[in-house]
Amino acid sequence: MTLVYLLEKEFKQFFRDPGLPKMAIAFPVLMMLVFPFAVSMEIRNINLVVVDSDRSTVSQRLIETCTSSGYFNLVDVCDDPVYAMQLMDMNKADAILTIESDFDEQVERGDGAAMGIKVNTINGTKGSIGSAYLGNCIRRFYTDYKQADMGTIAPVIDVSAKYYYNQYMDYKVFMVPALIVIAITMLTGFLPALNIVSEKETGTIEQINVTPVKRSIFILCKLIPYWLVAFFVLAACLVIARLVFGYSCAGSLTLLFLFTAFHIMVTAGLGLLISNYSDNAQQAMFVTWFFMMIFMLVSGIFTPISSMPEWAKAITYLNPMRYYADAMRCIYLKGSSSLDVWYDAVGLLSIGTVMVTWAVLSYKKTV
Amino acid sequence: MENENVIEVRNLTKKFGHFTAVDHISFEVHKGEIFGFLGANGAGKTTAMKILCGLSRPTSGEGKVNGYDINREQEKIKRNIGYMSQRFSLYPDLKVWENIRLFGGIYGLSSSTIRAKSEAMLRYLQMENLRNELVGRLPLGWKQKLAFSIALIHEPSIVFLDEPTGGVDPETRRMFWEMIYATAEQGTTIFVTTHYMDEAEYCDRVSIMVDGVIADLDSPAALKQRYHATDMDSVFRQLAVKAQRKE
Repeated sequence: MTLVYLLEKEFKQFFRDPGLPKMAIAFPVLMMLVFPFAVSMEIRNINLVVVDSDRSTVSQRLIETCTSSGYFNLVDVCDDPVYAMQLMDMNKADAILTIESDFDEQVERGDGAAMGIKVNTINGTKGSIGSAYLGNCIRRFYTDYKQADMGTIAPVIDVSAKYYYNQYMDYKVFMVPALIVIAITMLTGFLPALNIVSEKETGTIEQINVTPVKRSIFILCKLIPYWLVAFFVLAACLVIARLVFGYSCAGSLTLLFLFTAFHIMVTAGLGLLISNYSDNAQQAMFVTWFFMMIFMLVSGIFTPISSMPEWAKAITYLNPMRYYADAMRCIYLKGSSSLDVWYDAVGLLSIGTVMVTWAVLSYKKTV
Repeated sequence: MENENVIEVRNLTKKFGHFTAVDHISFEVHKGEIFGFLGANGAGKTTAMKILCGLSRPTSGEGKVNGYDINREQEKIKRNIGYMSQRFSLYPDLKVWENIRLFGGIYGLSSSTIRAKSEAMLRYLQMENLRNELVGRLPLGWKQKLAFSIALIHEPSIVFLDEPTGGVDPETRRMFWEMIYATAEQGTTIFVTTHYMDEAEYCDRVSIMVDGVIADLDSPAALKQRYHATDMDSVFRQLAVKAQRKE
């Protein structure tokens, strides 16, 4: 019975707050409308400088092949490698392609032609992807050239890749489940923590502590409202993904909501735990932010866990976001069933149980 | 009636590190009396009071509140006491009636009981037209009267008041004490701390804490006679001047 009265209070306070309900709506909308475009790993507009010592029709065709690929901006074609290097030093060029003076003859003879690629790797991703693109362009030039001009059918091995689950390698569809993960983690991590701390700051928690309210009930009443807020946010995100981008979930929606429920147990539990140990909102904010940051960076959302060093991989097993992000992507993109993602459920539930139990135990009515 | 004790404390001690906030205090509070718990800031009043309310565990010593052990049965103590702290602690973002309903619900009162009590309470406080006002918008005096009434909603046998009239204007203070008297007449024990020595005169018995120990305890009349004083203010000064502790 006490539960009903306390829940009633929490909901009234939530909806009466000048900022919270608006934030619960604005946050998912912003995340879904802005970030799929902004957080893109696709590299375009690589500034290319060509040092063309050959100046033949063959070298001209190579340059055209590169620029027509759509990935490169041709900044300049020059003869002087020193000048090209200066351009890179001034950050005007991301890549330099050097063509030797006897390039056309080498190609005609069918020998391998020597070519230089220099890449600016201040932005490592842009650099490595840029050099890969450039390599592809040169390879394509070779096969095209031989088939068209020599008239001979060179033994070309044609490797065609087919991309599964995200056929067009659309980065946005890859990020949609990840952004839902971030939105829900942030909201349910911060709000419960700030809620308890604000009760500490106004002194109302003392009035509650002097009553016979059970601490598990008190904690539960702090969790339930944010559970519902998160479900609302999840639904809103899915609707936006459908209406704006035309993406829909490949798997079961029930499963998405189930995993979200598991995940909230972890984040809200962590938030409450932090608030129990914090005296004021600043402390709670900072510590929560610290954990959120780490969770996000080693969650596999931005960089694949499989390419992390072993010690970092080991850390990710303690990261609830790893399991949640993995499950959300598998269900949303691949349509995985509960049998495929059971280990994510186990991960979330075990961390969640620890968090909530710890939160209840560390909330002391008597000091 | 005189000998029935609702609070009994023996050698109660609370230490924070090397600092002894409450140093082996012993006293009794009789049923239905208004017990004034006086002392300068930092003398250990609030600490001692929190132990009696089950908010804090004593380092050593024992005691009983309503017959329940202060070391082991804090949750049982909490069922039968009311508490109003020096910091205003109703929910400012809830309305008057919502605060009454919440605390009624927490103490397990039924919906109909809560409704009946709310009506009676609002009528008594003459706040019937303020029932839909957010508590945070009420003037301090009104808040404190409301907080006191809410602390009594479950009809506790003891109510603890920690500087209930701090910062309140004299007229409201007088009305507040009328409420305290009315409550005590119904058999509720009042345990009150205050810095106003005129309020100390209204108490049945008064204890004065200095540096974590009880310097003296008796009725105001007996204390005044003992220290050859005309008012409690003078009694308090004579005792408090011995304090070594800084605030």
